[in-house]
Amino acid sequence: MTSLDFLPSFPLVPGDLALIGAILAIGLLSGELFRRLLRLPRISGYLLVGIALGPGALDLLDRDLLAAARVVLDVALGLILYELGSRLDLGWVRRNRWLLVTSVAESALSFALVYLALRWLAVSPLHAAVAAAIAMSSSPSVLLLVIHDERAEGALTEQALNLTALNNIFAVVTVTMLLAYMHLEYQAGVHIMLLHPVYLLLGSLAVGYAAAALTVLFAGWLGKREDLQFVMLVSMVLLAVGSALALRVSVLLTLLAFGVLARNRDRRRVLLPVEFGPAAQFFFVALFVLTGAYLEWKDLRLVGGAALVYVMARVAGKLLGILVFAPLTGLRLRKAALLGVVLAPMAAVAVVLVQTTTEIYPAFGAELGGIVLSAVVVLALAGPIAAQVAFRLAGETRQEAVR
Amino acid sequence: MSILEFRRSEPFTVGVELELQIVNRRDFDLSASAADLLPLVEKQLQSGEVKPEITQSMLEIATSVHRVHADMLAELRGLRDLVARQAERLNLGIAGGGAHPFQRWTDRRIFATPRFHHLSELYGYLAKQFTVFGQHIHIGCDSGDRAIGLIHAMSRYIPHFIVLSASSPFLQGVDTAFESARLNSVNAFPLSGHLPPVRNWAEFEAYFDSMRELKVVSSMKDFYWDIRPKPEYGTVEVRVCDTPLTVERAAALAAFGQALARCLLDSGTPRVDPDAYRVYGYNRFLACRFGLDAELIDFERREKVDLREDLLDTLRLARRFASDTSGAEALDKLAHDVQQNESDSAWLRETHRRTGSLSDVVRGQCQVWQSGRRALEP
Repeated sequence: MTSLDFLPSFPLVPGDLALIGAILAIGLLSGELFRRLLRLPRISGYLLVGIALGPGALDLLDRDLLAAARVVLDVALGLILYELGSRLDLGWVRRNRWLLVTSVAESALSFALVYLALRWLAVSPLHAAVAAAIAMSSSPSVLLLVIHDERAEGALTEQALNLTALNNIFAVVTVTMLLAYMHLEYQAGVHIMLLHPVYLLLGSLAVGYAAAALTVLFAGWLGKREDLQFVMLVSMVLLAVGSALALRVSVLLTLLAFGVLARNRDRRRVLLPVEFGPAAQFFFVALFVLTGAYLEWKDLRLVGGAALVYVMARVAGKLLGILVFAPLTGLRLRKAALLGVVLAPMAAVAVVLVQTTTEIYPAFGAELGGIVLSAVVVLALAGPIAAQVAFRLAGETRQEAVR
Repeated sequence: MSILEFRRSEPFTVGVELELQIVNRRDFDLSASAADLLPLVEKQLQSGEVKPEITQSMLEIATSVHRVHADMLAELRGLRDLVARQAERLNLGIAGGGAHPFQRWTDRRIFATPRFHHLSELYGYLAKQFTVFGQHIHIGCDSGDRAIGLIHAMSRYIPHFIVLSASSPFLQGVDTAFESARLNSVNAFPLSGHLPPVRNWAEFEAYFDSMRELKVVSSMKDFYWDIRPKPEYGTVEVRVCDTPLTVERAAALAAFGQALARCLLDSGTPRVDPDAYRVYGYNRFLACRFGLDAELIDFERREKVDLREDLLDTLRLARRFASDTSGAEALDKLAHDVQQNESDSAWLRETHRRTGSLSDVVRGQCQVWQSGRRALEP
C-alpha cells in the first residue's frame, strides 16, 4: 500500500444514514429545547425541525433522503398503531354501548361537518368526501406521546385511547371505500373499482390477523418475559409492515388490526401490555421529525380560509358528538369537553392517508393535499399543546413526578 | 375542658369500612380514577357511604350500623355490586386485598383535599407508600369506660384479626414472606401502635388533652393505633385487618369482632393489665409474618401458644355470642378455613405460582371480589 488510500476522500459526503442520524439528533435536542425554554410539548419542536429541514425550506432533508427514511417512518408508525390497536378494549365497548355510540357520533359528525363545509367552499364532492374521511381520525402518535410524557391515566385517558383507535379504523376504512369512487372518477374500469378496495380491506385484515395469531402463539411459548416479548413484538411489527408493503395493502389498517386482534384474541392473557420504554422515544422523534418534513413550508403558507374552515368544522363535529354522548358513558361533562380537545390533533396518519391516494392518482392526491395538509399543519402544531393542557385540566397527569 | 365526648351507641352493633383497590383492566395496575368513579357511585347510592381516600386509586365503602350479620352481608353485597357496575362503565376493576402486589408507590397521586395534601406534605413518601387497603370494624359501646376496657381486652386478639384477614403477601413486586405486609407500612408512622394503658375514659381524655396541648396531635384521626376509640360514633374501631378478598370474609370478620366483644364484656368491664402490652408488638409481628403458623407468647400463661389452636378455641367461644344463625355460620366458615389452612394470602401466593404473573394475580383478585369465591378463570 503506497498512498493513503485508507483515508476517506475530501470533501466528505455523508451517507443517508449519517444524515438521518444527525437530523434525528437535531430533532431530539430541539424538542428538549422547546420543553425547557417554552414549556411546550416536545412534539412541536420535533415537527418544526422537520418542517425547517424539509424540502420546503432548508432542504437538508430532501426528497431522496425522505424516501430513504420512509422505512423508519413506516416502522415508527407501525409500532404506534400496534400500541393504539392494543389499547382498544372490545370487551369494554360491548359492555358500555354508549362508548360505541359516542365513537360513531363523533366520527360521523366530524365527517359530515367537514364534508358540508368543503362543499360550501365549492370543493368537488369526491375531494370533500376523502378529506372529510381523513378528518375523522385523531392522531394516535400525538395522543400516545402526550400520555407517555404526562404519564396520564384516568377515565378521559382511557376513552381517548379507545375513541382514537376506533376513529382511525373508521377513517382508514372509509378512505379505502372511497377509492372505488376515485377509480370511477378516473374511469379505471368496474373490476378495479370494486376489487381494489375489497383487496385492500381483506388483505390488510388477513395480514393483521396472521400477525396477531402468530404473536399470541409465540408469546404463549416464550412466557411472560418482558425482554423477550419486546423483541418479538418489534420483530412482528416489522414483519407486518413489510408484508403489508409487499402485498400493497394498507399499512395503517394492517397494524391497527394487528393490535386490536392481538389484544382481544389473547384469551389466555399470555401477551404482556406493550411497554416500548426508551425505544418508543426514538420512534416518536423519528415519526414527528419526518412528519414535519412531509408537511413543508408551503402548506404552512397555504393556511388560509379553507384550512381554518376544515379545522373548525372537524373540531366542532368531534366536540358535538362527544358532548352529547360521552356523559352517557359515565364521563363528567367537563371531562367530556376536554376529551373533545384531546381528539383534535392530526399528524402522521393524515399525512400517510394523503400519500396513499397520491400514489394511486397523483393529481387527485396533490389537490387533496392542498386542502388537508394545511389543516394538518395547524392541528399538528397546535394540537399537542391543546391536548397537553386538556390532560392537565382534567387532572389526569402526574405533575409532582420527579423528572 | 376536653373536646372528647364519647357519644354512646347501642352496644355490640357493628359497622364496617373497606378500602378497595381501583385497577385498570389492561395490566391491572392501580388506576388513579377515584375522582371519576366516586360521583357515579354516589348518584346511585341507596345505603351506606362511599368516600375518597388519600390516594386516587383507593375507594372506601362504609356500611350503615347493623345488629345482625345477615343484614351486614346483604348491605356489603349491595355496595359491592353497585361499585362494580359503575366501575365497569369506566373499564375499571375493583379488588380486595391488603396491598396492591406490584404498584410502585412513586406512581401514586394524592387525592386533592386539604387534609390529604397536609398529610402528604407532613409524611412525605410515607403517605404514598401508605397506599394499602384495610378493613375497619366499628363496635358500638354504651360508655367511654366500657370502650377503653374493650380495647384493652381485645388487644390480646389482634393477632387473630390479622391472620383471619391477611391478604398482602406481595408488595412492590416482591414476595415479602409476610402474610400481611400491609401492617409494616402502618408501623412507619410515628403515632402507630396501641392505646396507652389508661384505665378509663377520664384518664384517656387527660392523655389526649396533654397530647393536644403538646401539639403532637390535633384530633383523634392523628392516632394510627391498631384499635382506637371513635368517640364521635361511640365505637371501638379495630383497624388491623387487611381488606379481605371477598365481602363475605369482611362480613365474617365483623361478625367475629361483634361476637368477641360480647364475649369479652359478658362478665363486666375487663380489668387493665398494662404489662400485657409487653408481648403485644412481638405477637403482632409473628402474626403478620407467619400467619396461622405463628407461635404466640401468651402473657398470662407465660408460655408459647399455637395461634391456630388459640384461634379455633376463640372462634368456638365467640360462636355462642353470635348475632344470628347467619353470624354463627360465618364463624363456622372461618373455623373451617383455619383448619383447612385456606387463607386469602395463601390463595394469592398459589395464584402467583400458577400463573407466574402478578398482573394475573390482581385479575384474579377482581374476579374473586366479584364472585365471592377464591378461583381464577382465564
